[in-house]
Amino acid sequence: MIGIEDCLSEAMSIPGALGAILVDHTSGMAVAGKGIADPGRAAAGLSEAYRATLDGIAMASQETGFRIEDVIVTTGSAYHLVRPMEMMFDGPLLLCVRLDVERSNLALARRRLRTITDELVAS
Amino acid sequence: MAAPTLDAVLTGLAKDEATGSLRVGKEGTVYYDHGRVSYVECATTPGVEDLLGASGRISANGVRRARQQAGPGGDGGALLVEKGVLSRGELEFCALSATLDAAFFLLTPKTVRTRFKDGDAHWLGVHWFFDVPGLLRECARRRARLERAWPSAELDACPVTPLRRIPGSHALLSRLQWELLLAADSTATPVELARRLGRPAYSTLLAVRELAAAGLVEKAGHAALPKRTPKPPPASPPAPLAAPVPLAAPVPSPGGPGRSASGLPWVNGDATDVNLLLRLRDALEAL
Repeated sequence: MIGIEDCLSEAMSIPGALGAILVDHTSGMAVAGKGIADPGRAAAGLSEAYRATLDGIAMASQETGFRIEDVIVTTGSAYHLVRPMEMMFDGPLLLCVRLDVERSNLALARRRLRTITDELVAS
Repeated sequence: MAAPTLDAVLTGLAKDEATGSLRVGKEGTVYYDHGRVSYVECATTPGVEDLLGASGRISANGVRRARQQAGPGGDGGALLVEKGVLSRGELEFCALSATLDAAFFLLTPKTVRTRFKDGDAHWLGVHWFFDVPGLLRECARRRARLERAWPSAELDACPVTPLRRIPGSHALLSRLQWELLLAADSTATPVELARRLGRPAYSTLLAVRELAAAGLVEKAGHAALPKRTPKPPPASPPAPLAAPVPLAAPVPSPGGPGRSASGLPWVNGDATDVNLLLRLRDALEAL
């Protein structure tokens, strides 16, 4: 079982990780971050990006009550992985990791991220 | 001598690296650990006890027992984790979330009677820290966030009344908004609903403002519509509500051409509408 700080350290140990941040989606607040230059801005931006994805997929999808497992955005130099975690009374909490596109393995990173989030909320 | 402001008291205790509890008026308490804030309680917001109770993981009695077992200066949080009620990550997030929620309502700029009790600690123990400037900054950021969602405080203390009929053809709701609309009974205010649902009061307030921005709840006096044209506000998920409306062709009714629920004709950027208006203008000019 891990806490918030360990969860970030674990995320940073994913091969190719450049930065990791935990974001409270409701308020758009940076809970904690590592390797992120401006956590406040990053949290606000990632939170909006996730919200837009959620709304867009809700309109495009026939499913009601779907859940987003993760969001992957690829830029020229990096992968951005966003994984939501449902908390028991609020949330979700987003674990966001930026990975070097040259040095990382996307499939591996997704698996690792999933393990980390499972460990954070599993009792 | 004039009493110092709350901000000055909070900053002073941080500078002294104090450990203990600061009673703020009658509304709440701020807990310090070596100059950093470890927990904040406020009478208007649900505390960790309420959030835990509402989560269904542990009964109110269970919380009380853990509290007694921890005793003064104990670590009730560690006890709960040991019992498997919640994980360490959840406990940290629970303490953090309840603290920010309470701080938002308690730590407003004001002058109030305060009393510091040295060495006093919260039964949950210390699981997350905030430095005082950081905490005050976050409160200010949250206030700005509310303003961005819906720039009026008129609904904050009013009973939440969902509209019987929504203006568009469909609406997009977040989970909390759904819960809110189900629980809203036209008598409970957002903060009361938060308590009932076991949700943070700030999140509830934000959800109500977003519902107001999407036009899904009654506004006091119907003149309270936002002045600016509704460009898609970044904060409100139901913003795309308006987009599908022009696609949904109005069902022709015997009463005449399609009409929206509000009784007003459909207006959109459709070229045929514009052409009709141009022809109408030309015809009028030709008279």
